[in-house]
Amino acid sequence: MIYHLTVPKAVPGVEEIRILEWHGEPGARFEPGDMIVELETHKAIVEVRADQPGFLRMVMGQPGDWISIDDTLAVFSDAADEAVPADAKDYSELTVAFEVT
Amino acid sequence: MSNSPAPKPRKMFFREAIASAVRAAMLEDPTVLVMGQDVGSFGGSYREFDGLYREFGADRVRDMPVAENATIGIGAGAAAAGFRPLVCITYMDFLMLGFDPLINYAAKLRYKTAGALTAPLVVKTTAGAQGQGVAHSQCLDAWLMSVPGIVVAAPSNPQDAFSLMAQALRHDGPVVYIDHKRLFPSPGEVSVDAGLQPFGVAAVRRRGEDVTIISHSYMVQVALKAAARLAEAGISCEVIDLRTLAPLDVDTIEASLRRTGRLVTLEEGQTTCGVGAEVMAQVFSRMGPRPFVRIGALPAPVSSNPVYEALCIPDPERICDAVTALLKNAPPA
Repeated sequence: MIYHLTVPKAVPGVEEIRILEWHGEPGARFEPGDMIVELETHKAIVEVRADQPGFLRMVMGQPGDWISIDDTLAVFSDAADEAVPADAKDYSELTVAFEVT
Repeated sequence: MSNSPAPKPRKMFFREAIASAVRAAMLEDPTVLVMGQDVGSFGGSYREFDGLYREFGADRVRDMPVAENATIGIGAGAAAAGFRPLVCITYMDFLMLGFDPLINYAAKLRYKTAGALTAPLVVKTTAGAQGQGVAHSQCLDAWLMSVPGIVVAAPSNPQDAFSLMAQALRHDGPVVYIDHKRLFPSPGEVSVDAGLQPFGVAAVRRRGEDVTIISHSYMVQVALKAAARLAEAGISCEVIDLRTLAPLDVDTIEASLRRTGRLVTLEEGQTTCGVGAEVMAQVFSRMGPRPFVRIGALPAPVSSNPVYEALCIPDPERICDAVTALLKNAPPA
């Protein structure tokens, strides 16, 4: 199955965030609890952690890039070599946990 | 300005626009200092001084105690002695504690010394309601407009946050620079090579034909939301951002009002003796009265209860209702 990671509504009033750091390259396997990415708001860092296992397949932005809330940040899959369909309609939502620090 | 090609605008947080302007002024002029609570290693209450302590050290980026009166007093004295201090007062409500050194000393120094001394002091403070209750939410902008000798600047977006701060730190002061809690979450494109923003020049943020909405600071964003909704109902609003309350750009307001014929003033502070009252007095004294409505906070303290806070402060719905009523009462000829 293919999943997308969307930008969480972590901080009230924030409509856009900036990518601070990815914690893995495409191809990396994530277990529940592993940090995927750190995002930056005007005053806080949002730590996004996997809440299900999966393989990171694609990232939609690099550190310093801006992404809007609810837009896709990355694509994951259950299996490392699963084909990724081009149409995002076929993706499910990746379950994540996030913490604002 | 340098002859090198202008760098492209860069998207940044509101706080980063402030920090960029302060950093550039500190690099250019060794007399520029930053003073205030948590401005040092913490980087400012809104992180608007991030990196400055590390770069310039404690001599030029000075943490001050919870003593606003003393901080502004020291700032005014340092300014008179040849420095260019930027004093940060976290919430505008606390600015009251420093009114004596700001108003009786800094604002009057040039007058008292026949121009021999100036107080190039910038007092930066954050206004506005965002869940912080009666004594941390006020917009007291209008109180300062009536003090001769003080410039009052109030940016509504990251570009002006940069440009007005850049101008303030080069002005012979004093300048009160008022930002707003709700402006910090939204990033914007900033050209750091855009140059200084002269005081007393308003910006037309949206062109319109039926009504002129005058606002400043965060309420400009609220006015633009209301104008977008009203456009769907066939009402065309011109939205003017004052940028500075003192000096006031009456020319731009007058030119707009001569076309639209209807005036709405919008502020987050109180309407009694407010920014809108002053705008109307000045523009109507030039061109005669026009149908108007002024919108501001309800005459009540901003509550700690979020429901009452929202009720107290103008929102797009209140603006849309007021503009619609104004057009009904003063229909096009």
